[in-house]
Amino acid sequence: MVKKIPIGPFHPVLEEPEFFELHVDGENVVDIDITIGWSHRGIELLSESKTWDQVPFLVERVCGICSCSHPYAYVKAVEDLLQVEVPKRAQFIRIIIAELERLHSHLLWTGLAGHFIGYNTVFMWCWKYREPLLDILEAVTGNRNHYAMMRIGGVRRDIPLEEYGNIRKMLDSLWEKNDLITNAIVDDPVIHARTKTVGIFNKDQCRLYGALGPTARAGGYDVDARRDHPIDAYGELDFDVIVCENGDVFDKAVVRQLENFEAIKIIRQCLDRLEEMGPMKDDSELCIEIGEIPPGEGIGVYEAPRGEVLHYIRSNGKNTPMRHKIRAPSFNNILTNEASVPGNTVADAGLITAAVDPCYSCTERVGRVDVNSGERYVLSEGDLIRLSAEKTEEIRRQLGK
Amino acid sequence: MEREEVKKRIAERFGGKVQIAERSEKRVYIYAENEIWVDLASFLFNDLDARFDTGVGIDDRDGVEVMFFFPFDREGYYVTVKTFAKKPHPELDSISPVIPGAKWIEQEIFEMYEVNFRNHPDLRPVLRSDTRPADFYPHKREIKCKHEMSRVKNDGEERADEVAGKPLKGQNP
Repeated sequence: MVKKIPIGPFHPVLEEPEFFELHVDGENVVDIDITIGWSHRGIELLSESKTWDQVPFLVERVCGICSCSHPYAYVKAVEDLLQVEVPKRAQFIRIIIAELERLHSHLLWTGLAGHFIGYNTVFMWCWKYREPLLDILEAVTGNRNHYAMMRIGGVRRDIPLEEYGNIRKMLDSLWEKNDLITNAIVDDPVIHARTKTVGIFNKDQCRLYGALGPTARAGGYDVDARRDHPIDAYGELDFDVIVCENGDVFDKAVVRQLENFEAIKIIRQCLDRLEEMGPMKDDSELCIEIGEIPPGEGIGVYEAPRGEVLHYIRSNGKNTPMRHKIRAPSFNNILTNEASVPGNTVADAGLITAAVDPCYSCTERVGRVDVNSGERYVLSEGDLIRLSAEKTEEIRRQLGK
Repeated sequence: MEREEVKKRIAERFGGKVQIAERSEKRVYIYAENEIWVDLASFLFNDLDARFDTGVGIDDRDGVEVMFFFPFDREGYYVTVKTFAKKPHPELDSISPVIPGAKWIEQEIFEMYEVNFRNHPDLRPVLRSDTRPADFYPHKREIKCKHEMSRVKNDGEERADEVAGKPLKGQNP
């Protein structure tokens, strides 16, 4: 007997609107219907009414977590149209901010995933260790998010020399803490039992659905825009692309945790290069002069924490974009739930949909309808988290942990 | 697959039905006729092993320009396939049966530009709210006046119109 369970439009875990209608047979999900668009803000159209230099401030607001990735991809799209290269110092500063963003995004997700499976210690650790990172971003850019560092042709401000020591100190500390969290995840038999073989999305499926970022790399689909389409100084830096093979929730967590180490390595290399350059002499090291934007088109891609962000711009020679297309990675990744959720249980559905680190916007509620009997009842966010935590508790009891 | 090889194989297969342009060594643009649109996408994705990324629609006076991006990740360049769906009834074949990842972006282009993708498995709007008029396509420039929101600031029904983006009173959607 197949029943339908609607989850959303308010996501049970991430407090963001999304609507998943689960078709279930008992506790097993046999099909899923996804509806997006609950917080469509018309940013693409709005962007076409902003001047070229105003757009970075707008696209920072596409996503609070990716508030560096979107303007980064946008300025690269304009620079692709102009065929210009930005100063080396600006390139390294861009990469430092972008990688700091990756670190705080991955820590945020790991914390939320821990909370959802009933591991609130992981949640507290991750969010605690994320704080010094946000402090550094605030010291460097003036904000914990929405850094306003990107501009066409370079960056808005330098990183003061006295901050290098603080950044290095924070990175050293974070390396240890990330090691601690990674080991806690990798060595825990309960987490293994709770997340392994759950929500599998394999390499072939990743390719068909255009999966991106950790969602793709966890399934063995080796794509990373930083290596494949290197922008700025990424081509000069030494880092590994983390790829697993099973494509389950466990691998998605492992990919993110290991990527944190790579991000730290990248930032250290950028700091080394900036130190070699010495103090900034004049503003030309931060940004090149950009005149009018001629007619043409440009594509900008950047590997955001959730996967590749793509911005396409077209100019007709005026002072605003004639067309600005933004494709966030979640647009591709959320669709992967069509294949990864069926075959799993209701208690796992919320975890799987959260494992792609989806980016919606903010609210929460869950409804459940028995279409055969017509019975209708609502599950709160707490109910779904309780369901998931109970399953973890059950596994823990069985394993004697 | 290297850029030159890809260009050669596409030219061999589709001949005069495509025009290939190159803006830089990382950006290749292919202008395709409607009839070979799906074949070309399938050829790039299945035979040449490109990745499917996403699509874009651009409104024009005579039609809608639709383009899809196919990056070649190992070689580090993007192939952009473009075609033109003519107004007043822009229509194209859907590539979703070949590439499931194109499903949502085709739905989005349909709801923003009214491009009807034939053979699409589920051509419902994905982003807009239920309260929007059925023939309101936000990115189409020529119908905006008709659906322009109320400027009346009194406390009556007009204020609700302003919020919902509905057509003005007395105007049929």
